[in-house]
Amino acid sequence: MTARTTQAGRRLRFEIFRYNPEDPESAPHMQTFELDETPYMSIFIALNEIREKQDPSLQYDFACRSAICGSCGMMVNGRPSLGCRTLTSDLPDVIKLHPLPVFKLIGDLSVDTGTWFREMVEKTEGWIHAQEAFDPDAQEARMDDDTAAAIYENDRCIECGCCVASCGAANVNEEFLGPAGLNRIARFAMDPRDERDDADWFEVVSSQDGVFGCIGLMACHDICPKELPLLEVYGYLRRKALSSAMSRRS
Amino acid sequence: MNTISPTTTAKRQLTYEVVSGGSGLLLALFMWGHMVLVGSILTGERGFNWLATMLEDYYIAQPTVAAILVLFLAHAVLASRKIPAQLRERRKMLELGKGLSRSGREKVASASPFSPFHPHTESLLWIWQVRTGMIILVLGSFHIILLGMDVLTELFGTRVGIEAVTTMERVQAGLWLPYAILLVCVEFHASIGLYRLATKWGAGAMLSRTAIHHIERVLLWFFLGLGVVVLLVLAGVMPPPLAFLLGGAGS
Ligand code: HEM
Ligand code: SF4
Ligand code: SF4
Ligand code: FES
Repeated sequence: MTARTTQAGRRLRFEIFRYNPEDPESAPHMQTFELDETPYMSIFIALNEIREKQDPSLQYDFACRSAICGSCGMMVNGRPSLGCRTLTSDLPDVIKLHPLPVFKLIGDLSVDTGTWFREMVEKTEGWIHAQEAFDPDAQEARMDDDTAAAIYENDRCIECGCCVASCGAANVNEEFLGPAGLNRIARFAMDPRDERDDADWFEVVSSQDGVFGCIGLMACHDICPKELPLLEVYGYLRRKALSSAMSRRS
Repeated sequence: MNTISPTTTAKRQLTYEVVSGGSGLLLALFMWGHMVLVGSILTGERGFNWLATMLEDYYIAQPTVAAILVLFLAHAVLASRKIPAQLRERRKMLELGKGLSRSGREKVASASPFSPFHPHTESLLWIWQVRTGMIILVLGSFHIILLGMDVLTELFGTRVGIEAVTTMERVQAGLWLPYAILLVCVEFHASIGLYRLATKWGAGAMLSRTAIHHIERVLLWFFLGLGVVVLLVLAGVMPPPLAFLLGGAGS
């Protein structure tokens, strides 16, 4: 399908959440900006335009502008999206922007996803656990193609936080590892180089803060801008929890 | 690992999850069987009475009522543990679900398979699953207890057991309304529940989510339609359409 890149001479209305937690004078409110749509206008371009010409105090994050760095996640009309890859031509005339929920607000549309992801990595110990000391000269152990491909799928996560923001469970349970956290677990659980066994994983996975905190809303899967197979991750972890509990009983 | 919780906790969580999902599955399967049972009224009162008496005489009905009651309560208690305790949290989930189901509907330009824009409704559907669950808890408990008394006592009708005449009288006297509500709630709740259960445990590896969703829709409308017809016959609005099978209507 050919994408229309603009709708004839649209004047867009941006309603943007404003609040600076650093400033005691500031109170959360919505501020309206108007802008003429240009071809291939993304939220990133629009916000730059607004900051340059209308309000230099507007806070938001961008770095790569190509859906790789994961810094530009925000709620676009109620849906967590990457600002840099969301085209205004896909949106109605009124565009409401909010910061991602769950994460700590830095100001306006900017949130701190870094602390959340760091804590998640520490909780899941998201690195290869191996007893043997790493030998940089040794040849790498072989891995079959399917495993490598599956790990790669889960490793594509750019830590944008959109899935976490979209998840009803993560919004009400701070301890919940969230879609991105469960994805990280699956990534290391299926890695043959990682020596953590089923029993180790069982403790982390089989809990209200692990995979059973998920209520199967499927929002994360629908929202993930990198289209990670998140639902498959939960199915994998659930079946893993079940099988490791059963194998230990026998 | 630094987040180790005692193994018993992890095991208990797994058990809860399996029991809440498993009881939901069994209840949903039972509801299909149940539709066949009440559906016997489509052949007329004679067919209905024959089936009811047979199930009671062979002591199939009595333990079934008890088992369903247990499953029903176990499911209600364990499934409800996923409902956030605080009003503020439930509001948050509702707002999130509403926002997600609205955005993406506009779908102006890039409706490609890779477009990030398609409305996401499952989060909002979960909230309806909770709401219908609560209605089922109230109306379903009433219905199970009523039928339990029917099966076990002489309180209703002329003898111990379920009878078409008594049932139809009750439905016509006004029970059609709670039954109609219960029907819609149960079919809706069960079909989304099965869809969610299947995707949660990874049926996606065998069937695509679209396919599972499609199956869920077909089941929903089939049983809803059948249920409406059964209720119309019980309410006396419609003659039993399959009466010819037993050689005419009447008892
Ligand atoms: C007694 C009243 C009931 C209440 C309060 C209730 C409540 C709930 C809730 C809150 C959920 C969501 C749980 C979750 O997402 O993990 C759920 C799931 C489910 N319910 Fe019910 N429900 C009731 C009766 C029923 C009945 C009668 C059926 C069958 C017809 C049924 C079938 C299901 C199924 C299949 C699921 C999916 C299970 C899962 O995803 O793990 N429920 N129920
Ligand atoms: S899983 Fe997807 S939505 Fe979630 S943080 Fe990673 S890339 Fe973003
Ligand atoms: S499927 Fe689970 S993890 Fe994903 S949004 Fe729903 S509740 Fe959250
Ligand atoms: S700016 Fe890097 S992902 Fe959008």
